[in-house]
Amino acid sequence: MDREVSELVLWMSVVVDNACTQIWDAADGGVKVTSLRVSPVVYDAVAAARPKEVARHYPLMLLGLPIVADRDVATYDPVVA
Amino acid sequence: MLTEEENEALCRVGPGTPMGKVLRRYWTPAFQLGDLPEPDCPPVKVTILGENFVAFRDTQGRLGFLDELCCHRGASLTLGRVEDCGIRCLYHGWKYAVDGTIMETPNLASTTFRERVKHGAYPVREAGGLGWVYLGPPGTEPPFPNFGWASAPADEVVVSEIIMDCNWMQAQEGSIDSSHVGILHLDTLATMGSGPRSVGSFDFAGEPWDLDMQVPGGASRTPGEAPRPGVWPSEDNAPKIELENTPFGFHYAAIRDASEPGKKFVRVTAFVMPYTALIGGSNGAVIVVPRDDYSCSTIGVFRLPPGTDKAVAAERARRGIDPAVWGPEPENRKLKLPKQDRAAMAAGQSFAGFRGGNRVQDGAVQMSSGPMYDRAKEHLVPADLAIIRLRRLFADSIRLLEAGHDPVGRGEGTDFTQVTAASSIIDASADWRDLVPGHQASKEPAN
Repeated sequence: MDREVSELVLWMSVVVDNACTQIWDAADGGVKVTSLRVSPVVYDAVAAARPKEVARHYPLMLLGLPIVADRDVATYDPVVA
Repeated sequence: MLTEEENEALCRVGPGTPMGKVLRRYWTPAFQLGDLPEPDCPPVKVTILGENFVAFRDTQGRLGFLDELCCHRGASLTLGRVEDCGIRCLYHGWKYAVDGTIMETPNLASTTFRERVKHGAYPVREAGGLGWVYLGPPGTEPPFPNFGWASAPADEVVVSEIIMDCNWMQAQEGSIDSSHVGILHLDTLATMGSGPRSVGSFDFAGEPWDLDMQVPGGASRTPGEAPRPGVWPSEDNAPKIELENTPFGFHYAAIRDASEPGKKFVRVTAFVMPYTALIGGSNGAVIVVPRDDYSCSTIGVFRLPPGTDKAVAAERARRGIDPAVWGPEPENRKLKLPKQDRAAMAAGQSFAGFRGGNRVQDGAVQMSSGPMYDRAKEHLVPADLAIIRLRRLFADSIRLLEAGHDPVGRGEGTDFTQVTAASSIIDASADWRDLVPGHQASKEPAN
């Protein structure tokens, strides 16, 4: 897909969809997942969207998993761990 | 969660908005055919996708769907006279045909203008008790979705519409959200004789509002008691979700533990881009159409068995309708939430406290999020996979259209008569795909 035009925004729906699919795949395989590694861009976007949670020192979470910023993770390819 | 920017992109539907452009590339259910029952009957005002239109049926029975305001001085054509194969503006008498041809301009003798200019007019199709319109650029119409239920004769189709004061995505996401059924709709399940409690009577609901949802088999909550057909066969409120993209959108299966050993209770929902959900166990469809950014129509279309007596059909059309809450009349379709009955809740007579059945309960929670919910605040869980995929398909469609391609699921090559949903108890080892024979997987979305 040509992504040049839409790179103006971060498509969290793509990030979350890819992460959720991985979580269900892991569950099917009997693998317990405990965290989600995301690109710093995604991490920052989540933090920006949830200033109250950041202020309260809550862990940032997606899909029930704490997220960890990882420069080796591509924006649209989060990794469950 | 979505960023604020992406939430806006997915929710706003007006002309020129990213999602508005996408939605205009599909056939859109716009009005009820019952509102235009005969030639030259009064026209109706239609608001969809943030724009206002007038729909009318001309002397020859043809439907017209035009921009609402007269192109002369902007008076509403909904005030107009439908006569002699057109609709005439009350203000200065300009008259328009169903295709937008300007037939008469009484205060302009020259024919040059009306020969060179047309009023905004859009293709209209009649199917399933609804008028469907195409608002996209001329010549870009996809194949018309020939749903099985939409091809039924008008007297075999029941249409009910609820207008809600909230953004359409709140209603659309609710239509494919399986894991709320065993919670929010406990009152319905209770009247079906299942669920963790029983209301024991219909005193609260007054009548079994919308129990047409068929459930398979049946199960008893009392050990040793025979299963009762029609009883919701599971108390599993954390269904496993399996989802597969299809050429029209996706199928997803909510898989619950069944009360019978070695079995599972499966409800397969078909989501057809971008408006329609076929719910397992229901002989019809739930369609959510944006009226504007802050209101939407939820339209239920259900097919009756062939040969159904008209009186029965009329009774069915009235079922679940409380005129104090909403009704079928055009002026009464907006959902007016009743006061939540806290006393009934405290007395164990109701879980949700809203009389009027599932759709009223759905409306209550969907509108409670506000006129346009900010999804930056939400915490989705894996059980929300269908909602997550819905947003993904919309996001993909926006990106595809911006890149000069068609959005996803426009139906090219799809036989919509084969698109089905299912609700069944099957062997634990069986595949839910076998319940929907027309299922055809398509490739997963690319990043």
